[in-house]
Amino acid sequence: MRYAAALAAIALALLLTACAAPQTRALLQGPSTGLPPSVELGHTPFFPQERHQCGPAALATALGAAGIGAEPEAIVPQVYLPEREGSLQVELLASTRRHGAVAYELRPVLEDLLAELAAGHPAIVLQNLGLAWAPRWHYAVAVGYDLARGEIVLRSGRERRQVMRLDTFEHTWARGGRWAILALAPGRLPATVREADYVSAALALERTGPAQAARSAYAGALQRWPGNLTARMGLGNTAYALGDLAAAEAAFRQAAADHPDSAAAHNNLAHVLFRRQRHAEALAAARRAVELGGPQEAEARRTLAEIEAARRKAR
Amino acid sequence: MQGSIKRLTSRCLIVAMVALGTPMPYAHAGLIPTGEVSAVQAQADRDRVRAFMDREDVRQQLQALGVDARVAQDRVAALSDEEVARIAGKLDQAPAGGDSVLGVLFAVFIILLVTDLLGLTKVFPFTKPAR
Repeated sequence: MRYAAALAAIALALLLTACAAPQTRALLQGPSTGLPPSVELGHTPFFPQERHQCGPAALATALGAAGIGAEPEAIVPQVYLPEREGSLQVELLASTRRHGAVAYELRPVLEDLLAELAAGHPAIVLQNLGLAWAPRWHYAVAVGYDLARGEIVLRSGRERRQVMRLDTFEHTWARGGRWAILALAPGRLPATVREADYVSAALALERTGPAQAARSAYAGALQRWPGNLTARMGLGNTAYALGDLAAAEAAFRQAAADHPDSAAAHNNLAHVLFRRQRHAEALAAARRAVELGGPQEAEARRTLAEIEAARRKAR
Repeated sequence: MQGSIKRLTSRCLIVAMVALGTPMPYAHAGLIPTGEVSAVQAQADRDRVRAFMDREDVRQQLQALGVDARVAQDRVAALSDEEVARIAGKLDQAPAGGDSVLGVLFAVFIILLVTDLLGLTKVFPFTKPAR
């Protein structure tokens, strides 16, 4: 009987070790990571949470830090699901974009989260404050940390400055799938940015947010990665959507020069040249687009036909 | 839904703008949206994965593994763009040819990684097949 108790104790001890927060341990005990020892973004605004509405409060906090004023009450109808008494992650992403900010999902790495805080970017985090089998979901905004003390600082619920042990945080964060997003002013790149992820975020912003914001996001991406075709085309398409044909032409021209095999670049260049009444140049670009073929050949053929018809008429 | 409405509106706007400028018999032509540009990237990724699977040394390895090259190609066709992009990312790490022992070993490693991701083999504990 005594053996059984001892075995149970050992099993429990093993279980607890298995539960230790691995990323926290690596950060606090591992080799130096280059992170500043402590950071606190004290200017981050605070919106105390109403009842279950931690999603809108967290989003308003992050948007405010990005310089985009938004009241949680205005966000509630966009993201709050009364029946589920909460907000879904996708809706937070969508609402971020509707407000003209880039919604950037971080890698599920604690060090990345802290690196963003060090760069001045508060992050919305999803926590499961309960247990895996009895979840209590909660959104908070990470605004600081202190490595020596092993702590993280959050805007959370009705607490303006919630200090939580980093390993406790990691547990709650890991049970929420290590989900963290930034709401960034367009054009401002995350510290841990990766090219494809940022361009995808800008593309999502173009689809559902204001064109001007997406244009700035593409411009920011191109400063870092001038050869990115999607970003260059996005810059042209958003400029076009905003009626800035000269900028659209410049972007498509650059795209076609950097990526001579892109039918989309030549097609869109042809289209904008045509709109600017430069029919001869438009014709050359449209022909090139058709020659290149590929999945957009039909669209390119229509552009070419349109230009040829206009020229016949002009004669 | 919203996307298609938006696309329709933008199409209509473009048509309207073009029509205002010059009367146009072919009013459908328009800009290729940014999202479809990355579809081109996806096609390029897919082509790259296909080309990799067609490489002579890779085919030999697949055969040694008992994997039918055609089945592998079919599997590539069935993957989503994102999944293909993930595999294409792995190919960048693969050496161009088996010119050294290490090169051959590494090529085998990458091949197994890819076949794992395709769900044809299960060699590595950390891979999750795409389907």
